[in-house]
Amino acid sequence: MQLETFRYDNTIVKKFVIATMVWSIVGMLVGLIIALQIFIPELNFGIPYTTFSRLRPLHTNAVIFAFIGNGIFMGFYYSIQRLCKARIFSDLLSNIHFWGWQFIIVCAAITLPLGITTGKEYAELEWPIDILITLIWVVFAIQLVGTLIKRREKHMYVTIWFFIATVVTVAVLHIVNSIELPVSFTKSYPVYAGVQDALVQWWYGHNAVAFFLTTPYLGLMYYFLPKAANRPVYSYRLSIIHFWSLIFLYIWAGPHHLLYSALPDWAQSLGTVFSIMLIAPSWGGMINGLLTLRGAWDKVREDVVLKFMVVAITAYGMATFEGPMLSLKNVNALAHFTDWIIAHVHVGALGWNGFLTFGILYWLVPRMWNTQIYSKRLANFHFWTGFLGIAFYAASMYWSGVTQSLMWKQFTPEGTLQYPIFLDTVLQLIPMYIIRAIGGALFLTGTIVSVYNLYKTAKSGTFIREEEAQAAPLLKEVTKAKGHSWIESRPIQFLLVSTVAILIGGVVEMIPTFLVKTNIPTIAAVKPYTPLELQGRDVYIAQGCVSCHSQMVRPFRSEVQRYGEYAKAGEFVYDHPFLWGSKRTGPDLLREGGKYPNSWHFNHMQAPTTMSPGSIMPPFAWLMEDNLDISSTPDKIIAMRKLGVPYPDGFEQKSISVLEAQADSIVVDLKKSNITIDKNKQIIALIAYLQRLGRDIKTAQPQNGK
Amino acid sequence: MNPSNRNYSFWSFIILLLVSSSTLLAQTAVPAVEQGGDLGKVFHIGAMLFFLFVFVILLTLIAYHNRTDEEIPSIMKAWFWISGMLNKSTPIEKENEIILNHDYDGIKELDNLLPPWWKYLFYATIVFSAIYIYNYHISNVWALSEGEYNEEVRVANQQLNDLAASGAFINEKTVVALKDPASIATGKEIFTRNCTSCHGANAQGIIGPNLTDDYWINGGGIKNVFRTISNGVLDKGMISWKGQLKSSEIQLVASYVLSLKGSKPQNPKAPQGEIWVEPVVSDSLKAEGNSPKAL
Repeated sequence: MQLETFRYDNTIVKKFVIATMVWSIVGMLVGLIIALQIFIPELNFGIPYTTFSRLRPLHTNAVIFAFIGNGIFMGFYYSIQRLCKARIFSDLLSNIHFWGWQFIIVCAAITLPLGITTGKEYAELEWPIDILITLIWVVFAIQLVGTLIKRREKHMYVTIWFFIATVVTVAVLHIVNSIELPVSFTKSYPVYAGVQDALVQWWYGHNAVAFFLTTPYLGLMYYFLPKAANRPVYSYRLSIIHFWSLIFLYIWAGPHHLLYSALPDWAQSLGTVFSIMLIAPSWGGMINGLLTLRGAWDKVREDVVLKFMVVAITAYGMATFEGPMLSLKNVNALAHFTDWIIAHVHVGALGWNGFLTFGILYWLVPRMWNTQIYSKRLANFHFWTGFLGIAFYAASMYWSGVTQSLMWKQFTPEGTLQYPIFLDTVLQLIPMYIIRAIGGALFLTGTIVSVYNLYKTAKSGTFIREEEAQAAPLLKEVTKAKGHSWIESRPIQFLLVSTVAILIGGVVEMIPTFLVKTNIPTIAAVKPYTPLELQGRDVYIAQGCVSCHSQMVRPFRSEVQRYGEYAKAGEFVYDHPFLWGSKRTGPDLLREGGKYPNSWHFNHMQAPTTMSPGSIMPPFAWLMEDNLDISSTPDKIIAMRKLGVPYPDGFEQKSISVLEAQADSIVVDLKKSNITIDKNKQIIALIAYLQRLGRDIKTAQPQNGK
Repeated sequence: MNPSNRNYSFWSFIILLLVSSSTLLAQTAVPAVEQGGDLGKVFHIGAMLFFLFVFVILLTLIAYHNRTDEEIPSIMKAWFWISGMLNKSTPIEKENEIILNHDYDGIKELDNLLPPWWKYLFYATIVFSAIYIYNYHISNVWALSEGEYNEEVRVANQQLNDLAASGAFINEKTVVALKDPASIATGKEIFTRNCTSCHGANAQGIIGPNLTDDYWINGGGIKNVFRTISNGVLDKGMISWKGQLKSSEIQLVASYVLSLKGSKPQNPKAPQGEIWVEPVVSDSLKAEGNSPKAL
């Protein structure tokens, strides 16, 4: 058969290599800064843009979408061409993909510190950026499908299966979770409210972990590990079983983020059981990776690439066992809202994604620059600092999480809370936070060394822009393939079947939650927010309060005693978006309304330590200086009405005067405590919102707490 | 560079890290242990686990650094043998029997059997899930969140009632005002942490009333003040503190408040309520008879 000659494009891979390295440092540096801020709040230098609550989403977005995102594309562009025996579909689209993605990251890096955020975790970016993400993702999809169509290799290797599942699922997740109604260019409200918003958000959030941090990286593992070890993949049938079971089961597991919340019990139970059933499919990937190294373990000791990969796969195995364990209700009752979860995600992000990315980089760069690694010693140094960094990070956060949770739950024999003052449970953790920061600093040090090492490696070689290869063209199928190999040679059918596989779980969980009334029993006393409270809620979202404060009292005696009546589904029907939060660095605020006088909130926002000595909350003094944009009120009322919030017709016209009247009353009240403040300041709206929280449902025995 | 020197600096770095972290850990553990109880035990266990973890890492490091031989140690050989059995892997020597006819950019695939333990683990999780759903949602033998909460509260209340019936706690009938400086000082601490936001740093009154004058809304004297703090006056905004403070702590803070009578703080809030006159047999006389240590 006539062999065709073609060229692989390495320049696009090179671009993503550079972007991966640059963003790795940015993402981890921001992480280190906020790790320090948690015990030295002054490190924001009194600037709103560098405050913990705004940098935290920047850190998560930078690590997930910038560092790991670019890592995915780097590995994708290198492997897809070689696995398809074809040049990438379009060089132009490669460049649009690359620059578009970097532009999105820059937009995120600008808007998040400015407080332009939807408040939904890992989906904080506002609607114009959401649209951009969608467009760039379509470009990625075209590159994948286009290259598959012009491939010269009949069968698609397992790496490609994972790429297909990634492309399809991330698109579905992103679009469904980002359906929002714009109010202005920088502000929108999600169409879902309360419980429904929470379900959609964590279906998205959990599967962002699954289909952004897991499946594409499994794809990369299946390509780069056998390459680096020069060993055949352990088991093809294991690949098939674990691939399909993984993508089908993963999508159901989202509700495990909402155990003991106001989400209907049946949905919570589905979240638990599907998480448990995920152990084996996840471990299928680990086994296939580790057992591929059979007969190559002597190389693992010598080869830094393999060392990184082995630790990555082990971390993956640990995290995917821990995840299902955390989905058990009794474990979750202890771990949720604490640093345990922070430890869990960092074993995944630093160990699995981080170390696999570094392993790939150390393999890829010398090959693409046709040279040897500049310094094996530095690479080993990187490995050990990174490894120790993970160990210090995880151990300290595990202990911190368990400690705090036990303190929250500890009663005295008299039935009072042993630690009724929330802050006492936080201050106990400061030594752990210091160790965590040391761990983070170690990991970052290793990363900086790797960037230097890889830079010097590239400098010492010559970049191979294009690699020539030869293969026979693909002929039309004549023989009848059976079983799985049939679908392996049909990209479009593969894409359709995997789409069906990933849709089932989401559909089964979401449709009843949206349509069946009994899932969210209404509460007559729950009324829409007043215009000032609505504005205050947006201040709360923009300041990123949800980073540290939950609004979800779980049905435990310790929480009801500390915060008040546990949360009911009907309370959140006007919450676009929901603000349940996922971490309690500060206390829950669901029942905050009326616990303290207005003056307390004012003083506390200006300087938290005056009201709670030793508090690690940063001051939000700019709220006393920045004016509220009152003119946006009518538009917000109209938008909320479109989303189903029952504001009367024409209410938007008088919304500003209603808002001002309520602001006046707060100003007057503050005056009694000798606080003089202009009614247009953001703090007034925020106080109004905080004082509203939890007031709608009167309970038989109101409780209190700090 | 001399390799032994290099190892030396590597180890000193590790040891430095461990020493610095264990000092920090000691700080966390100490106050908690003092508080005693279950939590103290948990801290001990946590500390032990942490050091075990560090120890394992150290061992790994040592094993890694000491391996200079080219041979696979027998313990590893044994492990490979066991894992081969568990996984039912085809031995590497016979690999060519199960290698597939594909070549993806140089990558070959074997077709080993599914590891039996893995397969049965998968089945077991499916069985677990079926039982889980059945017990929670079909036979309802396991309580869902709400039922679990109600049971937790019921058990706790039962225990509390039993304890209260045995006279273990101070109540509004048995409480006496404490006068000794140590109790007043502790009472002041509790007051500063919990009460100043509404009553002011010197109890002069802000949202809540002035507590230093002769006027009381809900009655003065230790018994009334104890009851007010304990149960709260919900319509007036005074919250109930019995979930937050132990009865002995309420006694301390009430005693402190009563000790402020006539202290004339700055910016006092105007009097509210009625003048309170102590009954003939005053609490203070009784208190003199009781040593505070007896509490």
